[in-house]
Amino acid sequence: MAEDESSLAEFEQVDFLKDRHVRFFQRCLQVLPERYSSLETSRLTIVFFALSGLDVLNALDVVDKPSLIEWIYSLQVLPTEDQSNLGRCGFRGSSHLGVPYNPSKGPGFPHPYDSGHVAMTYTGLACLIILGDDLGRVNKEACLAGLKALQLEDGSFYAVPEGSENDMRFVYCAACICYMLSDWSGMDIQRAVQYIRNSMSYDNGIGQGAGLESHGGSTFCAIATLCLMGKLQETLSERELNRIRRWCILRQQSGFHGRPNKPVDTCYSFWVGATLQLLDVFQYSNFEKNRNYILSTQDRLVGGFAKWPDSHPDALHAYFGICGLSLIGEPGLRRVHPALNVSERAFEHLQQLHRTWREACT
Amino acid sequence: MHGRVKLKSTAQQEEEKRKEREKKLKIYLTSRDACFTKRKEGVLDEEVLLLTQQLLSSNPDFATLWNYRREILLHLETVRSEDEIQRLYEEELSFLEACLKVNPKSYGSWHHRGWVSTRLPRPDWARELSLCERCLSLDDRNFHCWDYRRMVVRVSGVPVDQELQFTDRLIGSNFSNYSSWHYRSTLLPLLHPGSPEAASPQREPPTSSACSSPSTSPQTHSHRVCEEQLLKEYELVQNAFFTDPNDQSAWFYYRWLLGRAEREEMISCVYVSREGERVVVAFSRPVNALSVGLLLVVDGQPQQVNWRSAHPRLRHSPMWICDLPPGTISDTSNEHNLTVHWTERHTHRDCALYTGRSESWCRDSATDLELFRSELSVEKSSVLQSELQSCTQLLELEPQNKWCLLTIILLMRALDPLGYEKETLAYFQTLKEVDSMRTSYYSDLCSKFMIENTILKMEYAEVRVFSLCEKNLSTLCHLDQLLLVTHINLSSNQLLGLPPQFAMLQCLEVLQADDNAIENLEGVYHLSKLEEVSLRNNNITQLSDLKILTTCPRLARLDLRGNPITQIANIQSQLAELLPSITELLL
Repeated sequence: MAEDESSLAEFEQVDFLKDRHVRFFQRCLQVLPERYSSLETSRLTIVFFALSGLDVLNALDVVDKPSLIEWIYSLQVLPTEDQSNLGRCGFRGSSHLGVPYNPSKGPGFPHPYDSGHVAMTYTGLACLIILGDDLGRVNKEACLAGLKALQLEDGSFYAVPEGSENDMRFVYCAACICYMLSDWSGMDIQRAVQYIRNSMSYDNGIGQGAGLESHGGSTFCAIATLCLMGKLQETLSERELNRIRRWCILRQQSGFHGRPNKPVDTCYSFWVGATLQLLDVFQYSNFEKNRNYILSTQDRLVGGFAKWPDSHPDALHAYFGICGLSLIGEPGLRRVHPALNVSERAFEHLQQLHRTWREACT
Repeated sequence: MHGRVKLKSTAQQEEEKRKEREKKLKIYLTSRDACFTKRKEGVLDEEVLLLTQQLLSSNPDFATLWNYRREILLHLETVRSEDEIQRLYEEELSFLEACLKVNPKSYGSWHHRGWVSTRLPRPDWARELSLCERCLSLDDRNFHCWDYRRMVVRVSGVPVDQELQFTDRLIGSNFSNYSSWHYRSTLLPLLHPGSPEAASPQREPPTSSACSSPSTSPQTHSHRVCEEQLLKEYELVQNAFFTDPNDQSAWFYYRWLLGRAEREEMISCVYVSREGERVVVAFSRPVNALSVGLLLVVDGQPQQVNWRSAHPRLRHSPMWICDLPPGTISDTSNEHNLTVHWTERHTHRDCALYTGRSESWCRDSATDLELFRSELSVEKSSVLQSELQSCTQLLELEPQNKWCLLTIILLMRALDPLGYEKETLAYFQTLKEVDSMRTSYYSDLCSKFMIENTILKMEYAEVRVFSLCEKNLSTLCHLDQLLLVTHINLSSNQLLGLPPQFAMLQCLEVLQADDNAIENLEGVYHLSKLEEVSLRNNNITQLSDLKILTTCPRLARLDLRGNPITQIANIQSQLAELLPSITELLL
């Protein structure tokens, strides 16, 4: 009997508690604890983690899609009557600035300090796609004009038109926006590609920018960007790709870490895992050790995942933990598109939308 | 969301925390509302600085507020004296230090500090460097801090050799300081350029954008380091990995020192088939022929030709083919001189087609190009030999060290891939045992090396027969090196298919690939000389799998025994209809 109990306990240790995670994401969509307050301005990204997470968990039906769609559209920074703010359009992270509520019906409300944020535009569009919306109320020209205004001479992007730091994260956001809107006029591709090449580091990883340390997150952003552009083979020689593959494969310690000599962290199971997938070598990683690590960071009580075992779970690590499991084929999870970072189902909806747009043009 | 560990607390502690939170929340909301009201009204004064300060202390990632502060400060610059401005910005720096203590990884705080540093009338760069040192002593991997430090160094014109000494100090005190090695890799080529075109240290004037970074990277530009310095670096890094062989920092740096050379871009082969009236051009890297200015000249006459890649799915390919106008070279009694110009790269290659010859080629072999050796840039084999000796010595002391094994394999392939073949295979075996998590990756790597060796052996023997039986292959590579191969044997492996790149085997006459798991033949495309295909014991299941063979008009013998397709009723007659050129069909 004792043996049975202990083997049962062992089984519990490594099983994936899907229902808990569904409830975790549901709570994220309702109220967040105080320690998330610093993320108020990036609220839309949290919504993305929750929605895409529920999508991968095959549980989007628990969500009130129409009202969420309205809320997302209320975050669109629309052109004003006189169109003087086109270079500042896109989506904002939340209503923290106090602009009057407008679910993208009618022109924008002029506010001297209202502008889109590249990561919010990206996650806003992704959320709409995930919710099955047809982007009918997205002002594409305005979004693209707002995006264009953010690109720097060196090819990288600011997050906001007033200026901010600039690095590979925002290059990725920009690429996703262009990809989803099926319109690459929002960026100078050549310059962006050059920025990526300039960010390759001596150890064959890719940093946030030139001369900066290789990092699993920025390597994902760079490779995924090139894949979305369809320029991976053109930009990097087979030799360079092999070197990047090697750098990435050596990130696995049990789960993955983001940089040499750093502890492993659940989210890198996606950042590095997806990169390996895009480079066709994910099958050479060790699935069992990866899975065991991710599940060791699962919170068995409240659901979600944390970056390390015995730590508080959060929306980001919950989402990427689940995506990491999806990459290794965990049963019950939808497959994730490794470049666009949405479920394959959402991706297909996007493809269908693109077909509809093309047909409408002819 | 930065790794908060779970702590248990009592009910009383919980209550106290709750009360404190409520208080903070009230202050936050009042301040926020006041702030935005003032901003709307266009107020830019010190009272607002105070308000935004309160907000940013609890939420340093509120980017709009940092922007607002910058607006205020810029405005105040126009109405205050230089001393007052100095004081203002110094206070700003103190405020930022407090923010960074709370959250040393806030993008907003570091970015703002960078901006402030460049606005100060009398900047104190020593203070900034000392802040970085303190920050790094708490977390030497904080890349925000490293990036900030790099900016300070650049803007304040700290000489590169001083920075190099800084890395000497850090590395000396802790060999496993990965960020220091990284920093060193960016400094070294600036100080000790190996070639005249290498970048020299520039002193940039302070700019208002604190985030501009150097536009070059050690990977993409030939940032070679002069030989003398290189040898000194080898010593430094060897000390590091002898002291702590398990730390990967030094090994990565070592690998970088050993090899950064990229191969010259060139046309590696021009092949002419008189009978097929076709010219095939192979490049040292994939190109898009339609946009690189490819020009064919025959006997001094430029030819109007259409270039196509070996397979329609390969838009970016190392191999391009064109058909000559009929009659251009078909008469065997004529000799012809062909030249292919790669105008974009100002390079070309000639090929003479002699009388009586049905084909001709001109190439640099993989051996000549040291194709599989040029991973490493150090030319002197004596240097590589001594490096190999050092690593082998270390391996005796640390037989389980994967970095050492990987480096030894690399050095052996650089020195003599065929000569060291046996040892390399043995080391791979050890590597798979020692680093079992990456076994399948190492197997794949090993197969690649064995394919390379097979290519080298084929060239030494000067034959056009390529055999890779029983090599545990699950994928193929270097197919662009097999242009001239007439017979290929891939039997007894684990191949699932022949990919589009297989179409680069333009001279192929016989294909043997028995005992695999092949279901996909898309690479067997327009192989005009292909006469015989053997695919016994594979996974060909339906007629459509074989449709591609209709592109090979010379195909006469096909062996499909042991494939599921043979179970289909009527398959013999269906195949006869699909492939009428076949005279010998084995099912």
